[in-house]
Amino acid sequence: MSTKAPPDTRFVCPLGDVERELTRQMRALQGAGSEPLQRARMSNLVIFCSSLEQSIFVNEQVYQLSASHPARALLVVGEPGPAERDVSARITVRPVAESGSKQFACVEQVTLHASGAAVDRLPFAVRGLLIGDLPINLWWAAPQPPPLAGPLLYELGEYAQQILFDSIGWPDPARGMAATASWLEQIERPGGRWRVASDLNWRRLKYWRRLMMQALDPTSTPGAAESATEMLIEHGPHAVIQAWELASWLSRRLGWTVQGGKIVSGQEMEMSWRFKGPPGEARVRVRRLEQGPPEIRRVRIACKLMDRPGAIVLAVGDGQRLSMSLEGVEGAPRTLALPPHSAADLIGKQLSDRERDPVFRESMAVAQVMARSLLH
Amino acid sequence: MATDLYGGKSDAPVSSPARALVPQPCQLVIFGAPGDLAWRKLLPAVYNLNVDGVLPSHFAVTGFGLPAEGGVQGEPDDYLRNRAHNGIERFSRRSLEDGHWADYSRALFFVPGSFNDARAYAQLKFRLQAVDQQFGIPGSRVYYLAVPPQLVGMCVSRLKEAGLINDPGEQHAFTRVIVEKPIGRDLASAREVIQTVGAAFDESQTYRIDHYLGKETVQNLLVLRFANSIFEPLWNTKHIDHVQITVAEEEGLAQYDDAGAMIATRAGYYEGVGGLRDMVQNHLLQVLCLVAMEPPWSLGAEVVRDAKVGVLNCLRALTSADIERNVVRGQYIEGDVRGKRVPGYRKEVRESFAVMNKSLPPESVNSTTETFVALKVFIDNWRWAGVPFYLRTGKRLPKRASEVAIQFKDVPQVLFNDHPEVPLEPTVLALRIQPEEGMAMRLACKLPGPKVRIYPVQMEFNYTASFGGEPPEAYERLMLDVMAGDATLFMRRDAVEAAWQFVMPILEHWERARVRDIPEYQCGTWGPVEADRIIQPDGRQWRTL
Repeated sequence: MSTKAPPDTRFVCPLGDVERELTRQMRALQGAGSEPLQRARMSNLVIFCSSLEQSIFVNEQVYQLSASHPARALLVVGEPGPAERDVSARITVRPVAESGSKQFACVEQVTLHASGAAVDRLPFAVRGLLIGDLPINLWWAAPQPPPLAGPLLYELGEYAQQILFDSIGWPDPARGMAATASWLEQIERPGGRWRVASDLNWRRLKYWRRLMMQALDPTSTPGAAESATEMLIEHGPHAVIQAWELASWLSRRLGWTVQGGKIVSGQEMEMSWRFKGPPGEARVRVRRLEQGPPEIRRVRIACKLMDRPGAIVLAVGDGQRLSMSLEGVEGAPRTLALPPHSAADLIGKQLSDRERDPVFRESMAVAQVMARSLLH
Repeated sequence: MATDLYGGKSDAPVSSPARALVPQPCQLVIFGAPGDLAWRKLLPAVYNLNVDGVLPSHFAVTGFGLPAEGGVQGEPDDYLRNRAHNGIERFSRRSLEDGHWADYSRALFFVPGSFNDARAYAQLKFRLQAVDQQFGIPGSRVYYLAVPPQLVGMCVSRLKEAGLINDPGEQHAFTRVIVEKPIGRDLASAREVIQTVGAAFDESQTYRIDHYLGKETVQNLLVLRFANSIFEPLWNTKHIDHVQITVAEEEGLAQYDDAGAMIATRAGYYEGVGGLRDMVQNHLLQVLCLVAMEPPWSLGAEVVRDAKVGVLNCLRALTSADIERNVVRGQYIEGDVRGKRVPGYRKEVRESFAVMNKSLPPESVNSTTETFVALKVFIDNWRWAGVPFYLRTGKRLPKRASEVAIQFKDVPQVLFNDHPEVPLEPTVLALRIQPEEGMAMRLACKLPGPKVRIYPVQMEFNYTASFGGEPPEAYERLMLDVMAGDATLFMRRDAVEAAWQFVMPILEHWERARVRDIPEYQCGTWGPVEADRIIQPDGRQWRTL
């Protein structure tokens, strides 16, 4: 499949005519004949963007997503500006075909737009377009952290079983992290409507976490986890929260508790925390590199290896592999394939993975304490 | 053999589904022909039947009544033909075609006259006889009373006085009457209407219409249950967790043009009546009957109707405490529907009365007429013991959608359902009544991949997609049934009374309470939050439609 969405014809229509128009467009796409319409839709995917520019990027992802998770996509754009009278609706119908097959199914997208005060009316429009019985997912694609987004998020996510967000590039990481843990507790509270919240950044860490667990496994590096005293995570621009989430996760796994933190402004921006761990004082540093892709580049964990001071180092190699080496111990680095993941891939996987992740919640609870230590 | 709902083999055995009766030559006489129902539904429905070629060979339509604007300009027949032409253009399932229109319009006639004017009935009689002669109709008549409920008694009395009603035993020239809902506004007035109509027409000649019962999905309920081997064994308290019946309307009391000016209102009827009388007492309870009835021993009208009324007789009577706990009403306030700002109910009532040039009744100033009702009911019989039926209806909800959802019991909490934190989504059979009539079954399915991950999928059936074209309108089917003398889908008097008997305690409780305000909900939402309190404590949720 090409990575670029093909030019598609879009139809602007009144909200009340959306269903009829969708069916009409699908019939037109499918051609003459009396065969039943083939519609592919695994869920309702409500996506919120706070600008048109952002929606162009998201639109591309929705197209790519239709290969792995076809959904009724409701792309909701609510912009600041003068209030429009009504919410406008644009319809897009696209074919998704099995490779090698002449048959195809139709994937549907409705783009809703409002500005100014009319943004408050978007949740009403969304309610009327959801398909019953299909899971409802909200992808919060706006740059604001969901807990700080206000009532719009709650109204759009009223019936959602999953709320997806991406913490990459949050403008105020400490505030965002401080608010997210409490918000997660609230969103996923037992007894209410079953719901899960997921951060795409957390999903990006999957391979890092896997290799780290292998690196600290007592059968391969006995005593390394218990003796770890320092962790340094280096990341490219916009990936501070990814690094932070990894730091909070590992701190929790190592049984460390936060003692205090500070932001060190130097040539390279760095955040530093003091922890108390089983061996005593421990330290975590998250350092931003001036250049590079928006991801974690290197992690160094100082610990004892074979009873001698050493370190476990994980680093991104050629971009396709993650390597692990042991400082002070001879041997070839271990490597793990790091499959490239577009945002659409990540979302597709997350949409299918609807279980609550207690490890994420626990890590975010640690991240919250780390954030508060910076804010106070 | 496929069942031909419009004709089929008349020599088939009575208990066979192929027993469909054949529409017999007759005149359809529409009382209130200038009105909204005839314009939107009845005249287009007869046109569609004509296009489908299922009308009797000898058939004509005669309208009767006075247009709201007073007299008729020009030829009376042309008045009705123009009205029908316009209605078909705007509302018909099938588009207007010259050939079919010419055929249809030549059998359309109109007699202007007041329902209380004996001379008008004399003119009507004269005209009906002339049309009979012209079309070779043996004097059989179907009177469709598309008139306000308070005029029903007057119409039937005048018909009787004018000698326009034949004896029920008269096989050659039958007379049948179709009575529209509402049948009364409470049990006493319903009995009064039934008696008034009964004084002129025998029960076998009376067809009380509930157009919901003419919808394909509703009729398909019987086929689904009794023509498929997998469902009926599961259709009971052992396997069904609960049932939800929802009738959601997008429309409110009034309709507006693009500039926001009111163009139509139902305030004259709806205000003071409310959703319990307008929807629950008839549509929802009738659908409930089809979902819950015992298997009838044949498809004969009386047998099916006996089975349906059996359900109504088993409904657990509601005490005041039950009503407080299990019944919630609400009224819409200003909000958004389909991206348009719409006013609240009270404002619509005020504006409607102003538009109608009527003074606002004092009790309507701060109206407590409910536009939303949700209730939990139980059917106390062997099959349904302990299974809650949640009924919900409302105006100005996010979308027009009606469905019956059968939620099956969860699988045991082992294997794939052993993690209480991540519940499996229940198996649900949803029967969509409107729009897009059809059904869907939600099942749990393994997502492709090495891990066992469960994902809900839908098996869908859609009438239009599977059978092509739009399914017939409910009115088409029902009018044809009357012409054929098949009363299966019409309400018998005992069913009407039993339904009223069930809702009367609620009406009386509300009457006694005399509250100043009832729960509110914004237009474009799924009703007041209070509705959750009748379902959430049971560990269940209202479905998102």
